[in-house]
Amino acid sequence: MQAKFAPVFGLLLPALVFLPLLAFMPFEIHGGGWGLIANFFGAALRPSLTPSLLATAFSGIAITLAVALWSWLLSLLIGIAAGLLSAPTVSQAFFGCRWPADLLRRVLALPRSLHELLWGLILLQGLGLQPVVAVIAIAIPYGALVARVVCDQLESLPQEPFRALRVAGVPSPAALLTALGPSLLPGVLSYGGYRLECALRSATLLGVFGLGGVGADLRLSLQSLQFHEAWTSLWALALLMFLLEQGIALLRRRWWQPGAVVGQRGRELLLLFVLLLLLLFPAAQLLDLQWQVLLGPWHWPMDQQIFQWQAWQQPWPKLVGSTLLLTVIAALAAFAAAPLLLLLFSPWALMQPLLRGLGLIARLLPPPLTALLLLFVFKPGLLPAALALAFHNAGILGRLFLEGLEAQDPRPEQALLVAGVSSRKALLMARFNGLAAGYLAYGAYRADVILRETVVVGLVGAGGLGVVLLEALSSFAWADVLPVLVVYALLTLIGEELATRYRSFLLHKHPQKEGGAPTRLQLLAKPMLERA
Amino acid sequence: MVPGRQRPRLNNLNLQLNRGERVALLGASGAGKSTLLAVANGLIKPACGDVYWNGEKASSGKRRQRQQARIGTLWQDLRLVEELSVQQSLNCGRLAVWPWPLVLLNLFMPLETRACANVLSEVELDPVLLAVPVKQLSGGQRQRVALARLLRQGAELLLADEPLAQLDPPLAARLLQLLLELGAAPRSLLLSLHRPDLVQGFDRVIGLRNGELLFDGNPKSLSSELINDLYAQT
Repeated sequence: MQAKFAPVFGLLLPALVFLPLLAFMPFEIHGGGWGLIANFFGAALRPSLTPSLLATAFSGIAITLAVALWSWLLSLLIGIAAGLLSAPTVSQAFFGCRWPADLLRRVLALPRSLHELLWGLILLQGLGLQPVVAVIAIAIPYGALVARVVCDQLESLPQEPFRALRVAGVPSPAALLTALGPSLLPGVLSYGGYRLECALRSATLLGVFGLGGVGADLRLSLQSLQFHEAWTSLWALALLMFLLEQGIALLRRRWWQPGAVVGQRGRELLLLFVLLLLLLFPAAQLLDLQWQVLLGPWHWPMDQQIFQWQAWQQPWPKLVGSTLLLTVIAALAAFAAAPLLLLLFSPWALMQPLLRGLGLIARLLPPPLTALLLLFVFKPGLLPAALALAFHNAGILGRLFLEGLEAQDPRPEQALLVAGVSSRKALLMARFNGLAAGYLAYGAYRADVILRETVVVGLVGAGGLGVVLLEALSSFAWADVLPVLVVYALLTLIGEELATRYRSFLLHKHPQKEGGAPTRLQLLAKPMLERA
Repeated sequence: MVPGRQRPRLNNLNLQLNRGERVALLGASGAGKSTLLAVANGLIKPACGDVYWNGEKASSGKRRQRQQARIGTLWQDLRLVEELSVQQSLNCGRLAVWPWPLVLLNLFMPLETRACANVLSEVELDPVLLAVPVKQLSGGQRQRVALARLLRQGAELLLADEPLAQLDPPLAARLLQLLLELGAAPRSLLLSLHRPDLVQGFDRVIGLRNGELLFDGNPKSLSSELINDLYAQT
């Protein structure tokens, strides 16, 4: 096999998207709100500290955390069960055939194809404004996502130990648990921790759209230009996010240290699980979760005809085109931001914590709110929507990129530095090259996520399917909702399939080094079901 | 004294390497051979004492980078960037002097094919390997590519830290011969070895024990008593 392009080239190429973005920017700026933007950032240093506001911020954060905890736990339960059932190995062991697993995997693609906001808005119509709506809305797509990763992990493990136990006459469940369980656990735990951070972000986002918590407070503060109040919530959220990320990182390091044994890890895991259970009760009380509403009655508008032929007559090429354009711009910018910034600022040690801080803000600020802020200076349209999506996702991608970089073998870079190569060039040639394939593979997955997320920035007039869908949902036009939902789901399913194939191709071409604790980038970059 | 260490790894050591000299460095494990090489290439900055290069004190910043660009290290673990092609990997030797446009262009379209083919031939490898990814090479081929990268770097001093340690005897003999040829004038060679029987082709042998100089002289003067002293436990 001959190699022409270095992998790192694929990592730098997406940065070209900034050229047209910068070129068009002057035409998209209305220039009216620079003062407001300055006020917003100025207020970061002087958040409102009045007791009543602190109490409101605390209560908002508690509600968001409670929603995140419940939806996360539910999604893990659903995801692990569905993930195991959709794994051909398990299906083969229990039923003697793999088709039930294949079928379940295809069925699970559907709940995954819709963003949690859409699930939230649909459930809101049927159940009314209930905290349980937010919990279920997050748990459905997250459960399907966790199922995919669990299944993927299980299928990528070496199957020989399992077969050896089966040949020795060990029953299937015991053989699966013993041979594959311990190897599966680290990946599931690491991914599970990551999903809790995601659940917190999603709970905040649903709040922006009216489902309560800190997201709702943030939206109200920003819309009424009360930036000092907004920063009280933002700093509280940042602190929570920081503590959560550090806590999860600590557990990851502790459980993967070379001396860690299954027994010790198991005891600590059990303790953590008990602690979580204890937390769930006050969380349920705080939210006043009423699970019985799920049993009905559901308030679907039965007076309308759900299928109307005219509703399917939409300008599909234009709608799909703008959705894809928004996705591509946001995905490329989000993907390129971290490597580019790191390359530019790597020689200055002070910039690293600054970039990490910016990344934290990017992760915790929901894209619709960033888009609202951008509207202070930009005209409504595709650009603020793309920038808002790119900013948020750059925070997520950037963190995984940094984690991946730190896990890279430092020796090739050291060899270049010792040969007199500057720190930037050494970083590019050694660490970036080592990480490029994994990061590109994860980037493909993230593009797929961004495609689903385009719906959340619909409110800034970005065009595309998201706007039509939100309008149809808010006007209860169910006949209009159905075709857009179908096209949206189809688009995301095609996107997912393409992303999976691209990731398989990339990782087949540049196999990732095994051994040690897998970084989340390695876990998330892994494509689904490569098994022959 | 090496920063972060309890006891000095090198002590009271005063050495001068002359152009064209091929020097073997002998000593037991932990004697300070790797530390001496790391001080020479600038990886470790000694807590006290100075390093001079061509009469110029080893400094920091750009000037230090220029000095380091003239010193090539063959690492025991090679430290090649696995993801690059052989040609891109060889061109890593030019990164210290290339401007950014060339660095980026090399990632897209490997540059200076003729120069790369020449250094590959010098280490007895077929230039047809230029387009092959490093990770597809055999152990012996990778070692030669690492050596060729030093030639591409234009290194005046070659440092090698036990390069023969993990090779079978015929492969080790061939690589040693190659290193001795490439390390001859106008270059210099400082190579750490774990086998005293391999020093005959060198111009000078230095023996280290517990970070101190035990002997420094001609390989012919290396007696079995000296060797016993060198590896004796203290």
